[in-house]
Amino acid sequence: MSQDRAVDAEGSLEEHVERVRLGHGANCSSVGSVVDTLFATAVVGAAVLAAIVAALEREEVRVVGRPEEQPKDRESSP
Amino acid sequence: MIVRYESWGAWVKLESTAAVVAVDRVGVRSLGLDGGDAWTTGAAHRPASAPLEVHLAVTARCGAGCKGCYLDAKPDGAEPPREDLEASLDAMRDAGVFTVAFGGGEPTTRDDLADLAEAARSRGITPVVTTSGLGLSDARVERLRAFAQVNVSYDGASATYEQVRGFDGAPAAERAIEKLATAGVRVGVNVVLTRESFPRLAETLSRARSLGAREGQLLRYKPAGRAASLDYLAQRLTREQVRSFPAGLRWLSHSLCEGGSFSLRIDCALVPFLSTDPELARDPGRLARFGVFGCEAGAALAAVDATGRVAPCSFAPATALRGRDLVSGHDGDAELARWRAWADAPPEPCASCSFRSVCKGGCKVVSAFVDGVHGPDPECPRVVDWRSGP
Repeated sequence: MSQDRAVDAEGSLEEHVERVRLGHGANCSSVGSVVDTLFATAVVGAAVLAAIVAALEREEVRVVGRPEEQPKDRESSP
Repeated sequence: MIVRYESWGAWVKLESTAAVVAVDRVGVRSLGLDGGDAWTTGAAHRPASAPLEVHLAVTARCGAGCKGCYLDAKPDGAEPPREDLEASLDAMRDAGVFTVAFGGGEPTTRDDLADLAEAARSRGITPVVTTSGLGLSDARVERLRAFAQVNVSYDGASATYEQVRGFDGAPAAERAIEKLATAGVRVGVNVVLTRESFPRLAETLSRARSLGAREGQLLRYKPAGRAASLDYLAQRLTREQVRSFPAGLRWLSHSLCEGGSFSLRIDCALVPFLSTDPELARDPGRLARFGVFGCEAGAALAAVDATGRVAPCSFAPATALRGRDLVSGHDGDAELARWRAWADAPPEPCASCSFRSVCKGGCKVVSAFVDGVHGPDPECPRVVDWRSGP
């Protein structure tokens, strides 16, 4: 995917990433959240977000969830 | 990447890096995707239409006898048939669940554990597992290779471990951490915070890291199962420890996690303890942006117990809903809905708390035990101050 597709009139893709939950976690009794990035510097936070956006733009798409609510996979490039 | 459309956009599970990301509708469209009916006929706005993560008790059998076991697991505990577990995994696949955490009971007592992990993977669900590490033979290590991460319960060195669990399982847990790391299995540790283990937390995490652990998961002690007794009041963190928690967590993050080879996590029930952190109080949106989850019981989190019944979380009583009916029953089950709805209109002091949208009132299992109501977390410093008055 080209960078152009991630940028539209409403800003970059980064601005539309609302939450980032890192790691798998492997606790079986309560839901966990990574906190070292929460306390890290803005530089580290920006690097994490940049890596996430790059992965979003690069990875193949597979749609899951309730079939009645799920439409088609990624459309061809505009 | 795996995309699950929501009324507000989509949850996306990345595959090249371990992360789950919420992207709004504009962002999703910029990726060449469209939510279709999920965006036009979806349910009222809420963070997730189905759980993102399910905790699946694959057995209630365990010989460890931890004095605070939330499941009250026993050596002769029930072991659900594999077909029942696979039926629950089918339902999770259909609901779009991203992660299943196997627990119990001691999951490694199941001979078919690796097959169950593969069953999850074949359905597109990432399997992870928690073990005590007791009796972790080479054969059992092999069974754990199929998991994305294995967490070993490790509350500290011998004396501390014994104070938390009633026996000294630390040497076995340490051997298990080392063995798994040496075998190339990604391993983390679960550390239960009691007033005895809390002062030694830095030492415990450092030791785990030196043995090869990649992550430390801090767990609040909860009054469920065998821990639902008066002893809970003597085990839980003191008020002073709770108030020191945010500063301590910052210090641990900076001292242990620089360089990225070790990561630190807190569980949902510890989120209210962050409310005294001055920096987070100035920017509470930071919690949401970094994906911190408070009480997501019945929402982004669900549990399936060893009898196959769905519960809002592993510590809460099970509902009548069967795990195999998760797709059809998640929205309509009254008890799950009650847990989800609490944070929509909480009483004070949660109503005016800037952490409310993430924290969601703290741990309801604690409030039910301590106060006898489904209400604000009585151990949250903000709740304590509010109740003590001006």
